[in-house]
Amino acid sequence: MHTFGIVKLAAATLFALSGVSAPVAKQLNVVATTPDLAALAREIGGDAVAVTALAKPTEDPHFVDPKPSHLVTLNRADVLIEGGAELELGWLPPLLDNARNQKIAAGAPGRIVASQGIRMLEVPATFDRSKGDVHSLGNPHFVLDPLDAKIIAGGIADHLAQVDPANAAAFRANLKRFNATVDQKLAEWQKLLEPYRGTKIVTYHKDFVYFAARFNLEIVEELEPKPGIAPSPAHLAKVISTMQATKARVILVQPYQNRKTAETVARQTGATVLDMPQQPGAVPNTSTYFSVMDNLVRSLAGALEAKP
Amino acid sequence: MNPGDFQVAWEIMKWPLAACLLLPPLLVYLGLHVVRREVIFVDLALAQVATLGTCIALLLGHHFNDRITFWISLGVTFLGAAFFSWSRTSRKRNVPQEAIIGITFVVAAAGVILLLSRVAGGKEELEHLLTGDILNVTRGDVGQRAIIFAGLAAFYAAFHRRFALISSDPEQAEAQGGRVHLWDFLFYAAFALVVVSFVRLAGVLLTFAYLIVPAVCGVMLARSWLGRLLIGWGIAAAASLLGLWASYRLDLPTGAAIVVVCGLLLGLVSVVASLRRA
Repeated sequence: MHTFGIVKLAAATLFALSGVSAPVAKQLNVVATTPDLAALAREIGGDAVAVTALAKPTEDPHFVDPKPSHLVTLNRADVLIEGGAELELGWLPPLLDNARNQKIAAGAPGRIVASQGIRMLEVPATFDRSKGDVHSLGNPHFVLDPLDAKIIAGGIADHLAQVDPANAAAFRANLKRFNATVDQKLAEWQKLLEPYRGTKIVTYHKDFVYFAARFNLEIVEELEPKPGIAPSPAHLAKVISTMQATKARVILVQPYQNRKTAETVARQTGATVLDMPQQPGAVPNTSTYFSVMDNLVRSLAGALEAKP
Repeated sequence: MNPGDFQVAWEIMKWPLAACLLLPPLLVYLGLHVVRREVIFVDLALAQVATLGTCIALLLGHHFNDRITFWISLGVTFLGAAFFSWSRTSRKRNVPQEAIIGITFVVAAAGVILLLSRVAGGKEELEHLLTGDILNVTRGDVGQRAIIFAGLAAFYAAFHRRFALISSDPEQAEAQGGRVHLWDFLFYAAFALVVVSFVRLAGVLLTFAYLIVPAVCGVMLARSWLGRLLIGWGIAAAASLLGLWASYRLDLPTGAAIVVVCGLLLGLVSVVASLRRA
């Protein structure tokens, strides 16, 4: 220890004497499991961080194919942001085991679990995997509620400040600006969707639950009989009759979901199949959280206006 | 690659590398038997039956990595092994065994689809069973398989003569009074154990590639069991090294990369073989 101190001192002196300035503070390597969390990290981290997302925007966040680059990225990460609540249960744990990076171990300041602090919806009272139940901790698709996005952003700012105290003030300033923008945009979005309060909609997977709760829409059915289980003919027949009874007129789908199933149901009910990609970058010009939300709110309002 | 990069690559690829070098030699040996018996698709069929067993376990609410899932899968596969050894020796009727194997494969595959339609994320699980996850193997996975495989290798080595005779000339074996039925079942049962434990690690595609491609290369280039075995081992090792390297450098799914390299090596070997004949 003592000799090491002397070496360090000598090195520092050498640095000072040679007139070489200390290397420019390096950007933090921030890794997010999904592009939406990556977008939030960019808002808060600004120039002080380099952000990588593991899942592609068009990939189902529940199922990501592991590749060597994922391990390299995780191995070099200073910070990892995961959705939590078992969103990445199927693929993240083995990658983390093999990436062997203590900086992002569970409980380390470099590990951010987005679901912490979120009021989870649909937490099951009983849980039975054999009945096809998943998500014992509740529905993990909460990023689409702007108020939840503020909570996640707050968590990111706290952790980044711990890992990189030199930039703590910048992170807090970015958070403040982000929150102010959310407040302003949320009012705008609510105004756009207000005419459709109580409108009944159908989704493929249970991935618009938080969005619907925030904007007062009512989800009457999912095309999947249970989360992650492929639609069966009997269930689709039930969906069709529910849609006819409730006059639901749009079906929301993601790029990685089976659009053909939605189209079959739409043909029977006269509904519209609406692409509502939640991940930044899934369609052009949606690289930030705000552009994604703008796109979703405007597409939905447009579809509902066209189909009164 | 600077030294730091190499360190990262080694950390990430060392257990996949260990799995791909330590485990395939036994598969290559079994592959020689399978090629000899002309039951090429028997492992695909058994792998599919094993997958069917896994799906039954998933449907019962067990997790993919639970121990009980392995035992259920193995039990179902033993049934398949018994069926194959019975169908081989009772071919008095005019049905070739390849047809039985093909039918087993198709029915098991369809059964898997039916069962997984009731399991959350079934479609993805199906793909996972096909391509495996050789990239994420752990020290425990590799060590456990290495022990099982070493035991089985000793078993096959001890009775190599008998298995070789039954594989190449079952009538002769029967004439000598060996209990062909029983030995055939033992062969398939041990084979099932190999397939089940390797498929869970590497997926159906990679298992088939390690079993058949090096064996076929060996048959093309050599006549003796030993010669074929050595060539097969060389091909398997080369495919592992090249495939893992390509997967890392080009960031490709690991199992599929090795399978494609196996195919390329087979092309190369067949060119060499035809040049030697000419």
